[in-house]
Amino acid sequence: MTVIVNPEGAISPEAAPAGTTRATLRRNFWRGVWRVLRRKPSRMAGVVIVALFAVMGVAGPLLYPAQLPRDDNALYAPPSLAHPFGTDFEGTDVLALVVTGARYVLLTGLATAVITVALGTLIGLVAGFHRGRWDTLLMRLTDMNLAIPGLPLLLVLSTVWKFESPLEMGLVLGVLGWGGIARAVRSQTLSLRERGFIEAARGLGLPTRHIIGRELLPGMAPYIAMNMLIAVTGAVYAQVGLFFLGVLPFESNNWGVMLNLAVFNGGALTTPAALPYLLAPLIAILLLTLGIVLIVDAMDEIFNPRLREE
Amino acid sequence: MKRLAAIVALASIVTATACGTTGTTDTAQQGGGVYTTIDGSKQINASAPINPFNPVGSVFSGYNGMALAWPKNDPTDPNQFYPAIARSWSMSPDRSEVVIHLQPDARWSDGTPVTSEDVRVSIGLAYTQGGTAYALDPKAAGAAADIQVVDSKTIRVTQGANRSSTFLANLLSTVVVPAHVFGKLLPADFWQTLKVAQHGQGEAAEKAKNQITGLAEKVIAFNPGHDVSAGPFVLERVNPGAALLKRNPYFYARQNIAPAKVKILNYTGNEQIWNYLIAGRLDNAPFTSVPTAVMNRIRGAQGSKVVKGYSPVAVSLAFNQSHKPYDNVHVRRAMAYLIDRAQVTRIASPEGGTPAATTSGIHAKAARAWLGDAFDTLEQYRVNAAKADAELKAAGMTKRGGRWTLPDGSPWKVRIHVPASFSDWVAAGKSISSQLSDHGIDASVVTAADYTLYLGELADGKYDLGFWLIGLGPSPYNIFQRLFGQANGWQMFGGRLRHVAPGTEGNWMGGPEKVDAGAAGTVDPGELTSRLNYASHDEQQRIVGVLAKVANEQLPVVQLWDYVNTQFVNTSRYTAFPPDDDESLRLSSGVWMQLGMIRKAEKGQA
Repeated sequence: MTVIVNPEGAISPEAAPAGTTRATLRRNFWRGVWRVLRRKPSRMAGVVIVALFAVMGVAGPLLYPAQLPRDDNALYAPPSLAHPFGTDFEGTDVLALVVTGARYVLLTGLATAVITVALGTLIGLVAGFHRGRWDTLLMRLTDMNLAIPGLPLLLVLSTVWKFESPLEMGLVLGVLGWGGIARAVRSQTLSLRERGFIEAARGLGLPTRHIIGRELLPGMAPYIAMNMLIAVTGAVYAQVGLFFLGVLPFESNNWGVMLNLAVFNGGALTTPAALPYLLAPLIAILLLTLGIVLIVDAMDEIFNPRLREE
Repeated sequence: MKRLAAIVALASIVTATACGTTGTTDTAQQGGGVYTTIDGSKQINASAPINPFNPVGSVFSGYNGMALAWPKNDPTDPNQFYPAIARSWSMSPDRSEVVIHLQPDARWSDGTPVTSEDVRVSIGLAYTQGGTAYALDPKAAGAAADIQVVDSKTIRVTQGANRSSTFLANLLSTVVVPAHVFGKLLPADFWQTLKVAQHGQGEAAEKAKNQITGLAEKVIAFNPGHDVSAGPFVLERVNPGAALLKRNPYFYARQNIAPAKVKILNYTGNEQIWNYLIAGRLDNAPFTSVPTAVMNRIRGAQGSKVVKGYSPVAVSLAFNQSHKPYDNVHVRRAMAYLIDRAQVTRIASPEGGTPAATTSGIHAKAARAWLGDAFDTLEQYRVNAAKADAELKAAGMTKRGGRWTLPDGSPWKVRIHVPASFSDWVAAGKSISSQLSDHGIDASVVTAADYTLYLGELADGKYDLGFWLIGLGPSPYNIFQRLFGQANGWQMFGGRLRHVAPGTEGNWMGGPEKVDAGAAGTVDPGELTSRLNYASHDEQQRIVGVLAKVANEQLPVVQLWDYVNTQFVNTSRYTAFPPDDDESLRLSSGVWMQLGMIRKAEKGQA
């Protein structure tokens, strides 16, 4: 038996041939998504913001030369038409730094989210479904993960590991951050595994892999998807924070490095001269978080029929 | 961020002394009030003991911490000092003996007189911590051999056979503590043990050395409970935010001290000091890295003034010559021709530095004093892309697709290492990498998490290029130690100089042991540097000329900027601060007060 998340909840899998049914469901799902997004302009704004950042991440570095131009006579220049967010300590356009720096931030966020969710979900599902020794072992492992002080560990790791690629950074943040999702997924699994459709699947002699992957997982997909998006924001904060503290490799267009230099080199918290240099990456982080939160709001309604207003 | 502390700590190795005395003024001034400042050398630790041997101890130099004398900021002579606990001193012509006369009226804050025994105990405690003048190895250059109390106010110290021109300077820098408080830290047989350690042989000498160095931790951890100070102030209380000191009624020059109390504020970063200065809370703040915009705001605070003077410190980009292609002098010269030092300084240290006129290993002011007109004959390495190209071609480099490649055709990647906590160095590194990239060199900046890690990795030879402080005068020996000392393979062991292989025992600069110095022939720069320790002044001048030329031609480093000592004062509450370029400028406000400076401002005066 296959239970597919069905936002319309009206079409039975048995009512039509499998291929047609799936196509119809998919079409209806996206129609539902569109309706949910249109219902509140803020949700559309969220999609636009995240799409904009995605474009920045993919195409941003292509818009500028590899070596960003500098104006030696315009250090910490105020905002102007040529430089909407002014210039940095060596006369480089701050907007160009934010745009070209988006790729590292987003790739790290994405890698972290994928690893967090994949590990957390897998461990939570296996522990919750099998219970017994597996549960004990995996949950002790989860407890250890939750007990690890992430930031101090990263500070120590940064002395031996330079994190030159966003994937390395994402891997570490992901490996450190799956504990919470594993706990939540296990709880949901413990609840779902007692339901009738799981009993029926067991009665039919379906293999465990099928029950976990095709019966349990789809029911938790919305929750997992939302956690994945929230994990992106967590990863952005974590890596920008580490760069701000100056423990990660220097990249002049990294948002955390920009914040660090704006505060400690430009005195942005003391004088307004370097304030645009400080505000630009802050606004970028704020917008990205806002976009993700607005999309999560939409997802909540898409996957939860009870929240629908019509 | 942490640059302030690092600069102060490294620059503090410059010490010096001289025969001569400078009397204090007799002007009585009882102005009162609370003088507010910060201590640039350390942050306040409320739980630290009141102990000058403890690096974070609540003893503040010039206030409740006293040395025998205070070093003047002379560009070339390390033997210029202001009197402190020592009223005067004299050194025999062959530098074998120094006689120190203490202030006749000096008393501790509990009323006990300061005597020669206090100095003797202080020297004994200094032996437990090690140091140039108090090395246990009698063959070490400038080590004291014998300490003799002549009378209650006179002490004689004899130098060992390996005499150093900085012996007097190191001796006068000795911190003096009360024997009746700290004396119990020294075992009854300490001086006998010291003699065995210095002059004994074999196992007995080793055992004695271990006994003395074994006292180090005990001395550092010692907490007297309350402050007994011979300085102008005595600690009243300390909390995590500030230390409060009150006037010492027994201080020998108490008539010079205007404030009734001194408050030393704590800080966690330069930004906090900027905010204190903008708010007008500080009467004085020592050298602090300040961006131009912040400097303008500080200048705008009521009564705020900036005093500038000579600082015997310069910063450089150093090469690891044991790594290719930096073993090739043409590569180093090419990079020198490509770095716009004026632009780097403007970006990194606009208020606290002046672009290096050239690479000589010496701060420009000291270089002019040592070299005279010869300073102008040194190659200046002005920005010149054509010369850089010629040098790179001479090194066998080729340019393909707009990028320079190594002689074997592989990509040339320049990695400039800096500690992340030094934001001015980070900005300078970025500026240099941008300038090199403009010229087709793949350059980038790599940060180390903190300064300790940075120095460790640098010493381990992990970096190709890194930022390095140089020119730490006034002693010419200290200046060239930074270029041709331990970091470049020359080590003093058992009184003998030896050169170790690059990549071993801290030799990360990896320069050659002997170099062609033109008219001076083939020279050993480390050996010449070592000779600066004991040579006569004329000989020192000749050696400095040779070493400056070697530094200029061989470029173990590219000198980037010379630091300017930028002090902040506020005349709203107190006046009579030292003027620009004053010889006392690098000393604390407490020393200024001892010297008769700093008076209470009259109402309306600012």
